[in-house]
Amino acid sequence: MSSHREAPEIAKDPVADNTDVYAFVSPDHPHTVTLITNYIPLQGSAGGPNFYEFGDDVLYEIHIDNNGDSEADITYQFRFTTEVRNPNSFLYNTGPITSLNSASWNRRQMYSVIKVENGHATTLANNLISPPCNIGPRSTPNYENLAQAATYTLPNGEKVFAGQRDEGFYVDLGSIFDLLDLRPFQNLHMIPSPDIPGADATKGANVHTIALQIPMEILTHDHTYPHDRNSPHAVIGVWGSASRQKVTMHTEQGGTQAIGPWTQVSRLGNPLFNEVLVPMGKKDLWNSLAPQNDHAFVEHVQYPELAKLLPTLYPGVFPHLAGLSAAREDLVAMLLTGIPAGIIPGFQNFTGRKQADMLRLNMAIPPTHTPNIHGLLGNDLAGFPNGRRVFDDVVTIMLRAIAGMTYPLMNKDFKPDVAATQITDGVVPSNRSTAYLSSFPYLGIPNNGFDNPASSASTCTNGI
Amino acid sequence: MLKLTRRRFLGKTTAGAATIGTLATLPGLVTAAESPIAGDLPEIALSDTLVAHVRDLASGEISLLVGTQEIIYRDPELVGRLLRAIH
Repeated sequence: MSSHREAPEIAKDPVADNTDVYAFVSPDHPHTVTLITNYIPLQGSAGGPNFYEFGDDVLYEIHIDNNGDSEADITYQFRFTTEVRNPNSFLYNTGPITSLNSASWNRRQMYSVIKVENGHATTLANNLISPPCNIGPRSTPNYENLAQAATYTLPNGEKVFAGQRDEGFYVDLGSIFDLLDLRPFQNLHMIPSPDIPGADATKGANVHTIALQIPMEILTHDHTYPHDRNSPHAVIGVWGSASRQKVTMHTEQGGTQAIGPWTQVSRLGNPLFNEVLVPMGKKDLWNSLAPQNDHAFVEHVQYPELAKLLPTLYPGVFPHLAGLSAAREDLVAMLLTGIPAGIIPGFQNFTGRKQADMLRLNMAIPPTHTPNIHGLLGNDLAGFPNGRRVFDDVVTIMLRAIAGMTYPLMNKDFKPDVAATQITDGVVPSNRSTAYLSSFPYLGIPNNGFDNPASSASTCTNGI
Repeated sequence: MLKLTRRRFLGKTTAGAATIGTLATLPGLVTAAESPIAGDLPEIALSDTLVAHVRDLASGEISLLVGTQEIIYRDPELVGRLLRAIH
């Protein structure tokens, strides 16, 4: 998956598992950038009575590099606190939750937002309320209003939201991890069967989202508006992280106590970086490091394991990829340095030679009115890997890039295999059960627990 | 409630402030990275829980964890006494 359960240690700690990062110029407010980090993967929406929530013992962070050194110049920190109003009830809610102050909401979570810039920490807000999980039509009868009430504007103009959302990332997990048997191409697989459409494994799942919408002047190094897409000034690098204190003790009273400095346990810039490129033995280490150390992983980008597997799993389908033995500097540019000017007309998101996994966004490139889910590969300069929008098909983009479609950016003599321009897991966002939103926080309303999964009676009724 | 600064606190440990001052000049033996969280107390209350982690029995290197801070120092004598206590 993008970065869901992507490393052995973090797979055991979903509350701190940073699953996706998005960074894009807000389509409805193009003078702002929206940054989203998601946590707690693959939530079943009916998971009560202890519904999903952020960790009170986790430090969640969104980092921004605005001067190309791959170090955080601005960091937004989020800390959560949970209150239990009636410890004598086993229920999450004892009646309909009709507002963020409903007395019937038994377990409510609040959070603070702290901005760290140049080592100086400023508390932007305290006691903001995270909306409840979407339980069902009786418990959360007007969920959209609850979530809207939980969207706040901070003193400097940033908007913030933290709470449950529909999972925006779509992927055919079942096929990918079954020896990469991509269903639309499985007649070409070494163990063939008839082609069928892809299956969206995250359809109906929820996730917990921290979203910020930030005026661009706050993000640039000199705090001026970025007009020139050719200027390094217009490019920011973004990544998310989660940290836990170094020691956790289980007390005799059944609780836990955390002590010591914050230690990073999860991070994410580009989707699929740790998931697909970093080998199993280094994944936990990668999660603990800052992007500025990513030169240590460059060989896994230059010589990706998946590029070697494709010609074997699909015999005769990728002959040009099979013959490509050079270092994949196209992937290094996409993921570790940004793409320099002069390679793609009208585009650059280069942050310098320093190699670091950051999601790089050229903020001077405006949103596209008719976006292409394949981003740069679909000639849409506003999409991945120029940042990442919620609907970008990052699985297909990365599959095609690793299969060799982007190698001509660095070597014009290389002719990609036809399959490299066609390969996909066959999942598209139009098949989602919940629509993306056209405004902040852009990820859809979470799936409610009463209707997901649906009763067999209602399925039968609908089927008649 | 009585509170101690980190310096006062260290002065009450067996290693003493002078030892810490010497070791602080050695790479890797100074305070570990601390996230600049707003609201963190710069002082340590006596009621705080303190965890001492012996990182290396041979060298006597000890990590003291309290609040969001970590202080690393070396005290072979203390580590020796701890070892004797568990035998």
